[in-house]
Amino acid sequence: MTTAVVEPWIEEPLRLFVEDSQVRLALVLTPNGQVLGQHGFSRAVDVMSACALASAIHASSNELGKLLQDKPFGGLHHAGVDRQLFLAPAETTRGTLLCLTVFDHATSLGLVQLYFEELCMRLRLAAPVARSERSPVLADTFERDLDQSLAFLFKR
Amino acid sequence: MNSPYMDALEALTRERGVHGGLVVSERDGIVVEANVHTGVKSNIVAALAASIYRKTRLAAAAAGLGGVNYLELVAGEGRLCMAGHEDLVVVAITDATATVGAMRAATIRAAGRIG
Repeated sequence: MTTAVVEPWIEEPLRLFVEDSQVRLALVLTPNGQVLGQHGFSRAVDVMSACALASAIHASSNELGKLLQDKPFGGLHHAGVDRQLFLAPAETTRGTLLCLTVFDHATSLGLVQLYFEELCMRLRLAAPVARSERSPVLADTFERDLDQSLAFLFKR
Repeated sequence: MNSPYMDALEALTRERGVHGGLVVSERDGIVVEANVHTGVKSNIVAALAASIYRKTRLAAAAAGLGGVNYLELVAGEGRLCMAGHEDLVVVAITDATATVGAMRAATIRAAGRIG
């Protein structure tokens, strides 16, 4: 499985996270659903769907957290029978990023959480201080930007 | 009133040289109950110790050696003592003054008490 990123500074933190935590799938994305890096996905359409769903889950749990405790919830864990999901935000100088991971019995929630903290630290250290050249995400350009990112990740 | 887990950990942490005791979910690697000194990174210890215990148990089973009931990890300045019960693992964190035999007995006894 390969790791592919849209922005180079994400590659090393993501690669180390995947190696250490032994997760099957990993995605780094912006809260509005734009993919920045992925590991383990073989089809662009799966990345697109996962990003859209992760973004929606994060937005919903954020609002629910604000409603219930005046602040957003942190990480979200969903335990399936064979596979588990962990979704959590990482704060960087480039703003909040989301990390979605899927893992199985090869690792554990505790290890994923442990190495996720290291991923957050590495992303914070690696993030460029200057703003990206990428233009702000607008409804009009969202799909075009997403297509460009997916094309870059999957070398289309 | 204490949980049965905390009762087991309190007895464990009364042993000489013990800096903390944890009840950890082996599958998830997360803390179920903890009784540790200030400064002990219980979440990190729990995640890594549960992983070691699980892999050791699977290795023993794969080698046809049966179940593991006690595991001790000796480090430069102390030990990690682990004993399992079903999906839970009792982890004791000790310094070098803890007695090997006493810790073995105390950790296994604590694992028996969480059942």
